[in-house]
Amino acid sequence: MTNQYYFDHAASAPRRDEVADAMQRWQHGVVGNPSGSHRAAREARRAVEEARDEIAAFVGAKPGGVIFTGGGTESCHLAVAGVASHHRRHHQTTSIVVSRIEHHAVLDAVELMARDYPNVSVHYVDVDSDGVLDLESLAGALDGDTAVVSVMCANNETGVLQPLDGVSALVRERPAGILTHSDAVAAAPWLDLAEATAGVDMVSICAHKIGGPVNSGALILRSDVAIDAVVPGGGQERGRRGGTVDVAAAVGLATAARLTAIERCEVAARVARYQQELFAALGAMAGCAITAPGTARLPGTVHVTFEGLASDELLFLLDQAGVCAAAASSCSSGAAVASHVLAAMGMAPERARGSLRLSMGAETTQEDVDALIVIMASVVERLRAEA
Amino acid sequence: MSGGVDSSVAAGLLLEQGHEVVGATLKLWGGASDSGCCSVADVDDARRVAQTLGVDHHIFNYTEEFERHVVAPFVAGHAAGQSPNPCIECNRHIKFDLLFERAARLGFDAVATGHHAQVLSRGGQYFLVRGADDQKDQSYVLGYLGNEQLSVLLLPIGAMRKSDVRREAERLGLRTWDKPDSQDVCFIEASKGREVFLRSRIDVTPASIVDRQSGEELGSTSAAELMTVGQRRGVLPGRDGEKRYVAKVDIAGKRVEVGRLEEILVSEILLDEPSLTFSHDVLADETQVLAQWSAHGRAQLATLHHGREGGRGWRLMLHAPARPVAAGQTVVFYRAGEPEIVEGAAIVVGS
Repeated sequence: MTNQYYFDHAASAPRRDEVADAMQRWQHGVVGNPSGSHRAAREARRAVEEARDEIAAFVGAKPGGVIFTGGGTESCHLAVAGVASHHRRHHQTTSIVVSRIEHHAVLDAVELMARDYPNVSVHYVDVDSDGVLDLESLAGALDGDTAVVSVMCANNETGVLQPLDGVSALVRERPAGILTHSDAVAAAPWLDLAEATAGVDMVSICAHKIGGPVNSGALILRSDVAIDAVVPGGGQERGRRGGTVDVAAAVGLATAARLTAIERCEVAARVARYQQELFAALGAMAGCAITAPGTARLPGTVHVTFEGLASDELLFLLDQAGVCAAAASSCSSGAAVASHVLAAMGMAPERARGSLRLSMGAETTQEDVDALIVIMASVVERLRAEA
Repeated sequence: MSGGVDSSVAAGLLLEQGHEVVGATLKLWGGASDSGCCSVADVDDARRVAQTLGVDHHIFNYTEEFERHVVAPFVAGHAAGQSPNPCIECNRHIKFDLLFERAARLGFDAVATGHHAQVLSRGGQYFLVRGADDQKDQSYVLGYLGNEQLSVLLLPIGAMRKSDVRREAERLGLRTWDKPDSQDVCFIEASKGREVFLRSRIDVTPASIVDRQSGEELGSTSAAELMTVGQRRGVLPGRDGEKRYVAKVDIAGKRVEVGRLEEILVSEILLDEPSLTFSHDVLADETQVLAQWSAHGRAQLATLHHGREGGRGWRLMLHAPARPVAAGQTVVFYRAGEPEIVEGAAIVVGS
């Protein structure tokens, strides 16, 4: 059996034992519906509310602003579609402003709103060649119709940090009423979100990028946000997200968040060293270009391109050697496809074809990194020899 | 692994024969198709079959290459009044060119597909042979495979009848066992047809359909680009009640000429010399072959003559006259003495 070297934390981080343990209690036998009034319900409700407190602390918001969801995609969708839906019921026209490098959770949600409602339009904000939001382009996109601005905290493909302070400052210069949302799913393992998203009205997170379960996330409202439920259901979560709250999922999210916050500084410092080692080693390989070199990014993400090589082939040989990695951009069939993020950065399609994202996390070790460097060298050498 | 029953069984049989197998599905078309966007349903089937068999499965994205080598030439061909065969181009440029190269780079010894055709090794040379199920034979669409490619090609179901393939799939517990055969061009939705597809890419030309003898206008077509010489479909009978066939398509003149069968028959097909391949032996003038120019057409006895139009190029003299063959179509040559063996192929310039 080949050793496994897991370099796809950005797709899904390893599930933490403590998370599984904490969830265990809520996955067997009687688990009350938190909306009920008997003792089992009260017990469940208490666990949900404790989890809510922890999530609020994790993001630096009030517990009342935490909406538990079925994951990052739902959180992002609720934020942009929920605000746009409310806005369009009270205004003639509604404009949604998003960066071109948002996750499809945001992009597809806003496209849907524009498709379904003639008074809703979407404006896309450019990024520079390093994948950083262009604040001038943002300024030009804001107007009196703007309901919500969505800019991710850090990009999930490149790891490049976005100027959220600049976004908040620009929005504050405008007449009140424009809400901001930040998809912090990719940033959550690495940044203190209370600080990094301080000026943002809505923050999306999910559990499985920080060692929690999938299908668990939250949208956190930092202020009094006028938002429509996308799924009103039975009025749970203060009418903002219908459906019985999943106690185990909420507990799992909260446990993962707590552990992440405790170890964040140590992990970030250690993994940042790995990142530098990888950039140095990969950057020295023939035809390898580091994406957005020198740009501030998450410590866990290494995004590179190999000239003349195809992601498909790199991933195949890496997989054969036990390395789990990603091209970071795939369509619903699972095939690697041209990335909208790299396209927005102006990267030539031929270069983008050789994309590789190696993403790390708390569990990554020096041995993993050393092994990866050796394997990468042999894979690239082999593909170059055969090409 | 296309997600169909043939390639599913091909993978299963190879595994049972003791090969180390990895499944690959080519993502070729990014737009709408009969199996849904990105062919997600087909990819799902292929992946599930691989899981059932216990083999790794990978998806290779060739959408750009497919657009460049198959879809764009298909559209350009029609715009120029030709009838290219996209399946042949796909096999030639994607499956048996790019995929073969990739397989070699990734360290594979052979590539296997679920085509109904066979490879014969004789005297150190490899020949493509018709599939055992004559209703399903796909040797025509593989007609361009050369010796080098055939030497590393495995066709595990080529000796089987389709009904046996389905039975094997059932035995192996593969969910594709009763999946209907794919019928048409993969990037064209059956409900919309070629015209809707072409209209999304080019302006099509309405044209009148004129009887070439009487000059009488018999009807019209909304897209002359879709009329192919020799075709009867979409052409109304003449005033005499007899069937009419397309004799000539003049897109610029917005005119499609039709005639009675005996008026349009041809006995000579002109071939594009650079596109001509012939297996192993140097092609001698006046070589007799069995020529086939559609996937399920019948092979006809013909002789290859060198030196058409001022001594250059090749022409195929048919021993019995046939309906004309449109430019862009492919003729595959089978050996006159051994009618199962593919000898070569060429693209038609006109007839």
